[in-house]
Amino acid sequence: MASRAAGKASGKAIVRAPRETAHEGFLNHKRSRWLKIALFVAALAIAVYVFTDPQPRPNGGSVAGYTLGTIGALMIIWLSLIGLRKRIITTKPYSLKGWTSAHVYLGLSLIVIGTLHTGFQLGWNVHSAAYVLMMFVIISGIYGIIVYDRLPEQLSANRNEATQPQMLEAIRALDRQLDTAAQPLGKDEADLVRLSLERTDIGGNLWQRLTGRQPRCGTARARAAIQALVNQQMRTGKPDQRLTQILFLLERKDAALAQARRHIRMKTQLEIWLFIHVPATFALLAALIAHILSVFLYW
Amino acid sequence: MSFVIRQIAKRADGGDIIRTRTLAAAEITVGRGTDCDIQLADLGVMLRHARLLQLSDGTVSIEATGGIPLEIDGKFVNRADLSVSDNPKIDIASHRLTLAKGDTPGAIAITAERVVAASDAADAASETGIFSLRGTMPSKRGLAWVFAGLVLIIGLALPLFMMGGSMLPADMVAAAGRPAGTSDAGKLQPALGGDAVKNAGYSADMVWSSGPLSTAHAGLSNNCGACHSQPFVSVTDSACISCHKADAVPAHASANRMDKGRLQTTGFQAGIHKGLNLPEGRCASCHKEHEGPRGALMVAASFCTDCHTGLSGRLTDTKIANVPNWEDHPQFKPTLVSVASLTAPRFERVSLTDKPMERSGLIYPHDIHQSATNGVGNMVRKQGLAAGANGALACNYCHTPDSDGVRFKPIEMEKNCGDCHDLAFARDGGVIRTLPHGKPEQVAGIIRDFYLGQALSPRAGVQRLAFERRAPGRMAELENADLRITSVGEARARGDAAIAQIFGAGGTAGGLCSDCHIVNNTGAPNAAERFTVAPVTLASHYLPKGQFPHNQHKTYDRKTGDAACIACHKGAMTSKVSTDVLLPGIGECRDCHGSTKVATNVPATCNTCHGYHYGETGQGGDFTNSPHRQPLAPAKVAARATPVRLGSAEPTKAARKASA
Repeated sequence: MASRAAGKASGKAIVRAPRETAHEGFLNHKRSRWLKIALFVAALAIAVYVFTDPQPRPNGGSVAGYTLGTIGALMIIWLSLIGLRKRIITTKPYSLKGWTSAHVYLGLSLIVIGTLHTGFQLGWNVHSAAYVLMMFVIISGIYGIIVYDRLPEQLSANRNEATQPQMLEAIRALDRQLDTAAQPLGKDEADLVRLSLERTDIGGNLWQRLTGRQPRCGTARARAAIQALVNQQMRTGKPDQRLTQILFLLERKDAALAQARRHIRMKTQLEIWLFIHVPATFALLAALIAHILSVFLYW
Repeated sequence: MSFVIRQIAKRADGGDIIRTRTLAAAEITVGRGTDCDIQLADLGVMLRHARLLQLSDGTVSIEATGGIPLEIDGKFVNRADLSVSDNPKIDIASHRLTLAKGDTPGAIAITAERVVAASDAADAASETGIFSLRGTMPSKRGLAWVFAGLVLIIGLALPLFMMGGSMLPADMVAAAGRPAGTSDAGKLQPALGGDAVKNAGYSADMVWSSGPLSTAHAGLSNNCGACHSQPFVSVTDSACISCHKADAVPAHASANRMDKGRLQTTGFQAGIHKGLNLPEGRCASCHKEHEGPRGALMVAASFCTDCHTGLSGRLTDTKIANVPNWEDHPQFKPTLVSVASLTAPRFERVSLTDKPMERSGLIYPHDIHQSATNGVGNMVRKQGLAAGANGALACNYCHTPDSDGVRFKPIEMEKNCGDCHDLAFARDGGVIRTLPHGKPEQVAGIIRDFYLGQALSPRAGVQRLAFERRAPGRMAELENADLRITSVGEARARGDAAIAQIFGAGGTAGGLCSDCHIVNNTGAPNAAERFTVAPVTLASHYLPKGQFPHNQHKTYDRKTGDAACIACHKGAMTSKVSTDVLLPGIGECRDCHGSTKVATNVPATCNTCHGYHYGETGQGGDFTNSPHRQPLAPAKVAARATPVRLGSAEPTKAARKASA
């Protein structure tokens, strides 16, 4: 791509910088080609819906309904194939970026096609279940687009050039220092350090990962308790040197944990939607089979 | 007396580092403190945790000094004497001390090692566990299997298991088999309430329903197989007809004419219908189910015009005019009497644009009967008959609405004409002798017998009633003179004269029959057979292929009462002969219904006036609520529905007036 742009550059006065194309994301791939195609498809579907007048009322069983339904079902099958496509490392026939771009925009156009296919009739049945599952997949996908668009930058800024193993190693190094520093301490103080060493869960459960907050974290509790001890000692005289050393280490561990947890929070936000998007896709494919088969079984 | 201490530490690569030293002492201390003989760098260990005292050869006394009990071979104790030969194990926090006999006599070997890995042990594999959701969430693949499986079980497997054979509820079959005409036109059949509720249990294949059933079918909601009898075969008419019998829902036309007349789909759409096994012209082609409470009854007007637009092109022998839409609906062609007859009247359909004439056989000038100032108006006032706002005879004096207000009761002579056109002809004491209407051969005999009887056995108080004009004051004298009979011959002559006069053939003055009927003189020698009355047939339904609910049009063009009637039936005030057809044209309808002439249009669809399932003649269904449901004839002979009162004991108003 870049070389082609450079090759063109020789004869042209205005040249687009190669860097610019290198940074083109899946949302504006090829000047948003798939956005335009998806908008056209959606507009066409709306036109078909508006300009046909099925009797007694629009629903999935009219000519327009079957047309929209067939297009929608084929699109859903194609969209779900991105799971296969991304596992095949190839640039042809379409780049994965182009494929993703089409996946996103055609997937969004399904909101229009699918909704018009229903004719705005919903009920407690397998047909509406397929529609609801489809909307689940699409809405989780929209969430995915938003976080993929926004979070990587923040993730990079938070990481501050550190790798994940480095983040973990920093915490472990502090743990080793804490362990060593606590050896001369009496039981009560040693137990506080153990609280930090043994009761610190970097990730935590799903909610803690999503929020990045762990107020009951062992390190936070140990730090607060030792801070209180140091404060108490400072009121009466000079605080225990060993305790202030440990407090210093705990503060550093807290900071390292906070960074790791921000990282985990964003990583979780980047991943969580796929735990809805993917299983709901398979549930949708199952519902689609039941939907189509049942329509023809009870024709 | 000595302790040989072996402290084992783990190397990063998994190997062991063993440090061995010998303490020549009977007592050693264990703890985290740097002053302890065995120092355990474990924050779970107290600074001074325990003391070991070698008692005699082979026995060690151990005592907890840090305030925390010791775990020895699984038991928690503060103090214990241990036999070294048993190789006792002492667990202190993450460390374990194992006692054993030393290599030299009197020496005790103590092995100290960490048995629980330190919390900060680096584990490269834990990175994904910490930074990704793997481990926190069930796997995507697992979730996908569970959700997809759940959907397939509830949405496919269970319904497939349940699919097929359901029995139709007998009560619903009976209700649907009711013949047409028992329900109000345009209204829903009464909902099959109680039974519908009874039949509304759960069935697994209900999840395949694409929407709620119509009200009448709601009882079949859990009974998919009742209509969907075969998989992959669209609902066939046989499923519908199993309840809706042909006499309840007559066919629109015979099957072969329907096939010819129907607008055939062509090309791609026809291919789709064929390919997907969707034959056209099924009940379900028009009646779409699973569309909500009114669903099955929602049939669009376009379904009618689809076929009726170019019907004559496909059904070349049809008598029905093409109807592309309401604006181009042809002018009304009322069914009119062409030949009146008591037994076999003939009718013909003539368009209102073709100057139609009705030959009912009756003489009835509307204009005379609608005047407030002539003899009719006088009678209305004197007899207190129902009068309109202008004082003339009200329309509904003769045209009485039927029970559902759609059309009118048949006109009856006694009821609608008899108050003025009285058939009383003699007074016999307190009894008024009345001639029977509709039985001319009886009439002549009764008159002749009256005169003969009076000749043979004259009685006082018998009086002939006559209504011809006479000079005032001479009435009684003339009536008495009429009955002063001296011989049988005279009686016969008087009787024959009275017969001729009452029949009024050839417009004889004072004729009773000839007021309304065409009377023919056959010239027969016997006077009783000489006169015949031309038959009368009155149409009861001029537009039998449609319905016009008169009761919904009582107010028209801001007029009510007779004015509203006359607003449409414009000729009613001026018509001089009964051959006039006083029906309004279709233009009157369009003034309100769907025309652009008025601002507030009332929408009209085909079924505002017409029905589909009325059989080949278009008469299969009757809109009336008549308990005596009968096939709707295009027009009905005004036959004698009620027996004629002969010699009625109850004098009519005219007779009472005459006797007064």
